[in-house]
Amino acid sequence: MIAAAASKQRWRRIFLIVGAIVAAYALLAPLTSLDVAQSANVPLLADKFWFRIATFIVMFIIMATAWNIIGGITGYAAFGNVAFFGIGAYTTGMLIAKAKWPFLLALPLAPVLAAAFAALVGLPLLRLRGHYFAVASLGVGVALGELVQNIDYNGQPVFGGASGLFLPILSIDNRGLFFFYLMCAAAALAMGVTWWVLRSRFGYGLIAIRENEEAAAVLGVNTTAHKVAAYALAAALTGLAGGIFSQWNVFINQDNAFPIEYNVQMILMALLGGTGTVFGPAVGAVLLQLLIQFLGGTLPISIQIPFVSDQAHPIVAQIILGLLLIVVVIFIPRGVIDFFGGRTRLSWAYLRRSLRETSL
Amino acid sequence: MFVQLVILGLLSGGVYVAVGVGFGLVWGVLNIVNLAHGALVIVGGYITWKLFTGLGLDPFLTLPLDALILFALGYGLQRGVINRIIRAPLLFTFLLTFGVNLVIVNILLLIFGPDFRSVSPSYSGQGFEFGSIVIPYVRLMSLAAAILLAAGLAFLLNRTRIGLAINAIASDRDAAQLVGIDLRHAYAVTYGLGAACAGVAGGLIALIQAITPTAGEPYTLQAFVVVILGGLGRVSATVVGGLAFGLVEAFAQSIPGSGSVFANAIAFGLMVLVLVTRPQGLMGRLK
Repeated sequence: MIAAAASKQRWRRIFLIVGAIVAAYALLAPLTSLDVAQSANVPLLADKFWFRIATFIVMFIIMATAWNIIGGITGYAAFGNVAFFGIGAYTTGMLIAKAKWPFLLALPLAPVLAAAFAALVGLPLLRLRGHYFAVASLGVGVALGELVQNIDYNGQPVFGGASGLFLPILSIDNRGLFFFYLMCAAAALAMGVTWWVLRSRFGYGLIAIRENEEAAAVLGVNTTAHKVAAYALAAALTGLAGGIFSQWNVFINQDNAFPIEYNVQMILMALLGGTGTVFGPAVGAVLLQLLIQFLGGTLPISIQIPFVSDQAHPIVAQIILGLLLIVVVIFIPRGVIDFFGGRTRLSWAYLRRSLRETSL
Repeated sequence: MFVQLVILGLLSGGVYVAVGVGFGLVWGVLNIVNLAHGALVIVGGYITWKLFTGLGLDPFLTLPLDALILFALGYGLQRGVINRIIRAPLLFTFLLTFGVNLVIVNILLLIFGPDFRSVSPSYSGQGFEFGSIVIPYVRLMSLAAAILLAAGLAFLLNRTRIGLAINAIASDRDAAQLVGIDLRHAYAVTYGLGAACAGVAGGLIALIQAITPTAGEPYTLQAFVVVILGGLGRVSATVVGGLAFGLVEAFAQSIPGSGSVFANAIAFGLMVLVLVTRPQGLMGRLK
């Protein structure tokens, strides 16, 4: 037993060290793109392409971590969080493109508006439970994207319509570096908020709601206020990611600000990493997003799938993603953080147990 | 104008009835919100299209074949995959069925490509005329087929041995197992029936609109709204929900300026309204 415990301790340490190295590389590599480093002949570790993918991954760290607050800690299966991403993107986008606000002034309004919207729709929606809440929140996400694209005023599309919304490019040096670090700061904020929630009275209330909502109410937890606050908090963080995205990407429309597949991706990331934890969703986001990019053929290393033409490549990638989703849900329902944390190890016995627990 | 809208609404409601009954059955009995439902609908649509263009079969004659093939597909899917997570939290059934949806849609894309496919038999475009009101044959027969489908399903559920077993599972899974019902088989049959209904719905949809592999997603969402509207647990409630949804849609689209672009927004606005004010649905009973 003691040997087993020591072995688990060792695994935990190894994973922590690996994680720290990866994080340090990701945070330091961009510095090699600075002019100072280039003139000192430091090898370039982060080109335009690196920034594009890394910023995208960190964006998903924010969304998965934010989803974890309502979905993982509170236990409400929110399926429409992309609505808040879109609200954040369009708030910042509209303020910059139409009202000519500077980016740093427009950005703080993205989380504020997203949170306000979440509180507004949360009041009726969070009265629903289970499937009903999940699909109602999905409906809000779908409907919002449709409204934003199609609302006209005097025959003019208010939000840029089907052709989307173009933002002026932010004129600063090292733009890629700036947005990467900005996204990282937001991700750190999201994880910090999660860390605080898990240790606060508020967070204990949320966990009580997840475990048994009636019992929580009896114990004096104001369940409505807690749920709405958790929803608004998740919305604010997701909206922040959307706000940064709009200026980073310079162009937003219904397809990239309200993509339905993000809903599932952020949930899958949180599940893959481990819900209810601080770092789980981030780990899941990195793993899954790397996999999606890898399958999509955008990473420098890619595979040739036999018997598949280049044209069919993205389609086959989607099929693999779907199969992976099925496998993860069936076999590792508690997420891979179980293995990183040193609590269990991946083994046949583990897979068999997962299967037996949920099987009919 | 009003009468025309009512007739138009009821006619298009037929498709929603067909889409809704299978979805409602799977949800009510298995407690699974089947996000792959729309994909199964489209599979049915492609079978009808293939039989119509390849063999020249009348689209309405292909419906039983749609049902049969989809039943087999659904049975296998539930028995082999979805049964594995029946005791897991609901989020997992969501993700699993979404994964199944992703796989089916992309396999369809591989086989048929992203092109629009439509089924137009010689009688499409024709219809009865009552004064100013025109009733297209295709729409009328779709409604009839949908009602027949719902009636057949209700008969199966209430009058046959396997139907009674499915009802028993819906009321109490563990008790059903105690009296000797083979849960794995009965679950698979239930999902197979749901998929068969989706297949028939797909055949009807192929007659009304051009289909693509990704055209199923709105139908999953609309099926959900239809089931909520009518109330979970009975076929007849879903029929009412489907027709009501068709009516709402017809009237919403007649509002000048809104057009069909807000179809989802209207559907979901309506659903949230019903959920918050009358969660048991128009026809439902509270459990």
